[in-house]
Formats: sequence, C-alpha cells, structure tokens
Amino acid sequence: MRKSTMIVTLVVVLLFIASWIFKTMTAPEVDSTFDALTQGFLVTFAAFLTLAIMSFLYQDNPFYKFAEHLYVGVSAAYAMTLGFWSTLVGNLFPRVSETLCGWFQVEFSGQHDWQFLIPPILGILLLMRLSPKGGWISRWALAFIVGTTAGLNLPRFLRSDFIEQISGTFLPLLVDWEGFGHFFSNLSLSASGQFVAILSNFVIVSGVICGLIYFFFSKEHKGAFGSASRYGIWILMITFGASFGYTVMGRISLLVGRLTFLMDDWLGIISG
Amino acid sequence: MKKEIPLFIVFITGLFMAVQFFVPHAKSEWVYEYMLDWTIIIGVFALALGIWSFVRVATNKIRRKSENWQYSIVALAGLFGMIIFGLGFWGGVESYMFRNFFNFVMVPLHATMFSLLAFFIASAAFRAFRAHSLLASVLLLSAIIIMIRFNPFLGPLSEPIDSLASWILNFPNMAAKRAIVIGIGLGMVATALKVILGIERTYLGGD
Amino acid sequence: MRMKLFLFVLLALFMTAVVVAQEDTEIDSVVTVSPPAPVANLVGVDTPNDNGHSISLSWELSPDDATLGGTVTKYVIMRSESADGPFIVRDTVAAGMTKKADNGVKEIEAEDYFARNTDFYYKLVALAGDLKSESEVFGPVRGVGQWFNTGKWSVVAAVGLFTLVTLFFIRRAKSGAKLYIRPLAGIDAVDEAIGRATEMGKPILYVLGLGTASDIATIASFTILSRVAKKVAEYQTSILVPCYDPIVMTIAQETVKTSYYDAGRPDAYNEDDVFFVTNQQFAYVGAVNGLMIREKPATNFYLGKFYAESLIMAETGSASGAIQIAGTDEVTQIPFFVVACDYTLIGEELYAASAYLGREPVLLGTLKGQDYGKAMVIASILIGIGAALVGWTGYVDLFYVGP
Repeated sequence: MRKSTMIVTLVVVLLFIASWIFKTMTAPEVDSTFDALTQGFLVTFAAFLTLAIMSFLYQDNPFYKFAEHLYVGVSAAYAMTLGFWSTLVGNLFPRVSETLCGWFQVEFSGQHDWQFLIPPILGILLLMRLSPKGGWISRWALAFIVGTTAGLNLPRFLRSDFIEQISGTFLPLLVDWEGFGHFFSNLSLSASGQFVAILSNFVIVSGVICGLIYFFFSKEHKGAFGSASRYGIWILMITFGASFGYTVMGRISLLVGRLTFLMDDWLGIISG
Repeated sequence: MKKEIPLFIVFITGLFMAVQFFVPHAKSEWVYEYMLDWTIIIGVFALALGIWSFVRVATNKIRRKSENWQYSIVALAGLFGMIIFGLGFWGGVESYMFRNFFNFVMVPLHATMFSLLAFFIASAAFRAFRAHSLLASVLLLSAIIIMIRFNPFLGPLSEPIDSLASWILNFPNMAAKRAIVIGIGLGMVATALKVILGIERTYLGGD
Repeated sequence: MRMKLFLFVLLALFMTAVVVAQEDTEIDSVVTVSPPAPVANLVGVDTPNDNGHSISLSWELSPDDATLGGTVTKYVIMRSESADGPFIVRDTVAAGMTKKADNGVKEIEAEDYFARNTDFYYKLVALAGDLKSESEVFGPVRGVGQWFNTGKWSVVAAVGLFTLVTLFFIRRAKSGAKLYIRPLAGIDAVDEAIGRATEMGKPILYVLGLGTASDIATIASFTILSRVAKKVAEYQTSILVPCYDPIVMTIAQETVKTSYYDAGRPDAYNEDDVFFVTNQQFAYVGAVNGLMIREKPATNFYLGKFYAESLIMAETGSASGAIQIAGTDEVTQIPFFVVACDYTLIGEELYAASAYLGREPVLLGTLKGQDYGKAMVIASILIGIGAALVGWTGYVDLFYVGP
C-alpha cells in the first residue's frame, strides 16, 4: 500500500470515528446509549457514503468502489424484496391460496382466481433457464411478455404518436390574408402580427416535412431531396440545442437554489 | 417445436392485445388487465434470475480473485443483508434493520448520484462549447439563446432574445419533435409488426 | 330632556322601519314559495363505444335555470332499478348543463359499481335553495358494452394500410428486388469501433438502457446487439453487457450466446459477460460508471431507452476515452447523446439500425415500408394544409381518434 493511500485511509477512519462520537453525543431523543450509538453510526455512515460517491468526480478510488458495490447490492435486494411483498404477497397470494395468505398474514380475497395460476407457471418456466436442459422452455414466458407488449404498442403508438401529430400539422399557411401592407406591419417575433403567424406556421409545416425527409432511409439524399433533408437536420439541431440549453439551465437553477440556501439561510452571507 | 411454440404464443398474445385496443367491452378490458397483471408477476420471478446472475458473477470474481474481488464481498453482504431483513418473517419491509438500510444507505446514495448530474451537465455544456462542425455550431447557438433566456442569475435580459428563445421553443422545436415522434411511431409499429409476425425473433435466441 | 325625547322618537322610528321591512321580506318569500319548474325530456341512452358500465343522460333545462335568470342552481341525478324507486343519488351537476354520463366501475366489489345489462330508471331533481322539483322518470335503459369502438376507425385504417405496405415490400425484397439504403454514420462506425477494440485488446461495453423487454427501443437494441456480438466473436474480442432488467438480461444472454454460435465460436461465450446489475436507476449508473473507469472499454454502445442517467454515463465514457455510439427514442435524452457521443442514432434511426447491420431482405423491406409510411404522412399533411386553406373540415375529421 502506498504511503499516501495509508494517510488518506487513516484520516478518513479518524474523521469517521470523530463524527460518530460527535453524532452520538448530540443524538436527539434517544432512550438508551445503544440507540445513541446506532444513530450516531448511521448518520455518519450516510455522510461517508455521500462523500465517497462525490469523490468519483476526482477519480476512481477504494471509497467509491465500496459505496458503489454496497449500493448495487442493497438496491438489487430492495427491488426483489419489494416485488415479493407487493406483487406476490399483495397481489398474487390473495387470489390463489388461502394457506399462503395465512402464512403471510394477508387477507384472502374469498375466491380462487384460476387465471392467476398462469403467471406463476410462466414464472417457473422462466426459472427453468437455470437448468442446463430446460432453457428452451423459458422462452414461452419470454414470448408471452414480448408478444403482449408488442401487441399493446402496435395500435396505441399509431394513435398518440402518429395520427394525432399529423392532424396537428394541418395549419393554414395564409392566416387572414389582407395584403402585403398588413403583412409587414409588425415584424417582431413576440408580437402576434400576421407576419409572425404565417412564419411560425410555415416553420412548423416545413420543419415536420423536412424532418421526415431526413429520416428517409431508402432514397439517396441528393438534389432537392438532399436540400430538404439538410434543412430537416438543421431544424433537428436547433431543437436539440434548445432542449439541451433548457435542461442545463433547469439543473443549474436547482444548484443555484441549493447554494442560495446554504449562503443565505444557513450561513447568512448574502442578505444577512 | 422449440421455436414454433414461442412464436405462436407471441402471435396470439400480440394479436389479442392489438385487437383489444379497438374493443371497449368490459370483457376485453378484464382480459387486458389480467394480462398486464400477469406480466408484472412474471417480472418478480425474473428478478430471482437477476439475483442469481448477480450472485454468480460476484462469487466467481471472489473465487478467481480477479481484480477488485474484495468489493464483491461488500456487494454480496449488502444484497444478503437486505434480503434477510426484508424477507425475514420478523417484520419484513417494516423491520428496523430494513428501514435503516433504506434510510441510511439507499436514500443518501441515490440523492448523491442524482446530484452528480449537475456536475456532469456542466462538463457536457463545456464540451458543447467546443463545437467542431457546422451542425454542432447550430446546436450550440440555439443552446446559447435558450440559456441566456433562462439563466437563473439575471432573469430575462433583452426583449429580442427573449422573444427569439420563446419562438424557438414554440415553433422549430415543436416541428422537429413532431417529425421525430412521427418517425418513432412508424418505427415502433414496424418493429411491433415484425415481432408479432415472427419476422423479428432475435429475442428468442438460437436453438 | 329634549335630547332624551329626540332620541326616543328616533328609536321609535327606527323600530317601526325595521318591523315594516321585515313584513316586506315576509311578503316577498311568500311570493316565491312555489317550487321551480322541472327539467323536461330527460332521455338516457347507452353510452357508445364504452365498456357498458355507463349511461348517457340528456335533458332540457328547467325554465327556472340560474343561467336563464331563474333560481335553480343545480340538478341531482337519481337512479333506481324500478320505476317506483327507491332512487339513489348518482351525481350532481351545475345549472346550465344539459347532459351528463352516469359512469361507474366494472369491479363488482367496488363502491361505485355500475351493473352492465341491467334495466335502470332515472329522474332529475332541480334544486333551488330548499325547494326542488322532480322530472318525470325515464326508463328502462341499460348499459351495454360494445365490441368495436367506432371512434377508432382512423387507427384501424392506419394499421391496415401500414401493414399492407410493409408486407408488400417484404414480399418484394424476398423475391430478390434490390433495395437501396442510404449510409448512416453511426452504423458505418460499428465495424471500425469493434476493430479498434480488437486492436487495443479492450472489451466493448453494450448498454441496453433502462427499458424493459416491452419497450420497442429495447427490442430494436437486441437485434443490434446480436449483430455486434457476432462481429465481436469473429474479431475474437470481448463484450460486456450490464443489464438493468432481469428479463432483458435473459434475452440478452440468449442473443449473445446465439451470435457466438453463429460466428462459430460457442466456446468463447462467457455467461458472466451478460449480467444483471440492479434495477435501481442510479445504482445502475454507479456500477456502469465504475465498469467504464476500471475496464476501460474501447467502445461504448448505448442503445435503447434512457432517462436522466444518459448524460452521466456518456460523460464518464467520453472522459475514459472510448468511442461512443448511442441511440434512443427518448426525445429529451437525444441532445445529451449528440453532445457527448461520437455517433448518435436519432429516434427512428435506432429501429432502422438492425436492418442496416443485418442487410436481410425482410428487414430492408420493412424499412422501405416505413419510408412509404413517411411519404404518406407528408402527402396527407400537404392535403391537410390545402384543406385548411379552403376550409374543408371533413378532411380533418378523417383523422379524428375517439377516446
């Protein structure tokens, strides 16, 4: 072990113990010394994990590896435990077995739903993967899941993503045409003048059409078709930029909010 | 037969779910709800497969003493600790230890990982500022206009930029999103169709 | 003394005024004591295009409705299983409304259960303060479930048309017709990226995203994974597939295994290379980040469904010096991939990628079908603009999708 590593580890261990002692002594509303010790440990441990994850921004290190592996292990088990209690005990058992309900102390629904015997059977077929010879039968369960959801997606996306988007693009390109004088009377983008109305509708219609042309796979993007496709990708890039800028500012606003809280409410630096 | 039966199941369930969309009758709603419930229950069984894979990879690492194998012990300890306390019959998810694991391990780790996003977005913004092609510059320019408009420090600045930013969000942005979404809709339908008809069968693996 | 007298007179006058005023109001309320006029022509019909657990009611307003300047402020909808009652309250609507559906749920144990195929009788009670008047009873009427939703004809047409076009092009492609497809930078880079990993002796990282096996983006990604894994096997390099969903992991294992078999190198397949991590978003990101920093893969693929974690992974991968190829149909995440990755498959390009890599006629056929779908969309938009110009609303109605 390198000397610097040893020093860092030592410092972290000392800080951990110091924080543990401090947090134990200042633990609020506890009944016994043991409770205070546990509370002190848990809070310090949470702080340690937080800093360990943060340290990844500098570089990979043993503390990050520790926190990462612990996080992965705990969260995988968490999902499994939750699935067991809420789905199997909460949803399946009350519909199929009075005995199981008795074991897990949940209320039986009153009748045996034979339909609910199918998913556990498919689930067990899925587990057959673990046997060297039974792998093929697990595909029945996969087929059920994939088939169900493919069928689910087929018409539903055609409705929301497709037909409604198309009819939303039927925009009049000559809004209340009253001659050129009226057309050029107000050019500001924020104004509700006719120029802006027509320009905006034109951008939407041409943007949608050229955006679609960009996604043509079986035609060479040359000539007029190529120009339309290039216009399409420009519109796409403007959109990606807008979406990017918007999200960046949203996240930075959150950060500024946290910093303002620290500076103002906690340290009293800004407004005092 | 190893392939025909799964393909048949896919076809029948897929066709049923597609047709169900057009059938408002209560009976069709019942079957639809049953099938969604079923997929959730099968999902829980699948989690067991996931945990199995997890344990297998971790124990193999430890056994072979591959690089960083020590941390696999940490992962396994976290996994089994949480499972024992969570599935245990002395309280399950309400038990003292399970709640502590959740509140003092999962919650802070989750919050910290999420907060890292702010740092990564800063580095991504920096990367975007080194645009090296015309298209990347278009993206950058549009991003800058929107960032000026929505900067949290000064608020809205000048009228032309503000109105340009709003206009970009309302019109070119809407047009491009619509084009993408229509394309995605077509692609999804094509893929779903290929799956139901058994043309796309990669997910079933080989024989 | 005078002052006292003055105050007394004032008080007396005031008392008289109060009494007179009270008498006035009494007289007023006597005038309006008759109940308001009831609603007329109450009609109930089975709600169309529904599951059968609903009846649609309509009526003509009471002449005393508040919106007509009268005193009726609301109507109470009452229902019974026989014409003589007893009636139960089902709903209350504000004055001015002339229709309302009486909806319930289909679960028999639920409180708001609404029986299907059962005769019901309805009446409407018009309320004006404490006064009320009942309409004539309407009935019997029963809720019946429909077997086809007529509001969805446009979707039937679209599905039918698209299926026919796709099947037509698949047939044509199978019969040997040559189909051109334009180059796609992200796809052309796949070979180069795998080659680079081979030269460097580093693995390839393939992230399928946070989607489940039910997401079309994930299904598209499986197909790409199978092509990539086959090339990986041929080039004798290695691939790592950390998974977020256990079913996705199962399918990914099948996919990679088959690809190794197809490439003639079944012995090189290691099941530990396609593994489950966790299905908690940020724990998964933490693990993938660690993997990128420690294993230093030469190439990272991010293909599938991605959310807020897209940027964390793509930025870490970029910092680790890997070539990155991304693709997703999650519109909000595309910009981050565009910024942080070398190549990005935008939306539909992700679905098309499998056809590109496989070059199988059937897949190319569906690609052609998709293009014709887009051409039809463009044509219908152009007609729609014309329709908007001349005010032809019938055309717009063709695209109506009911609830």
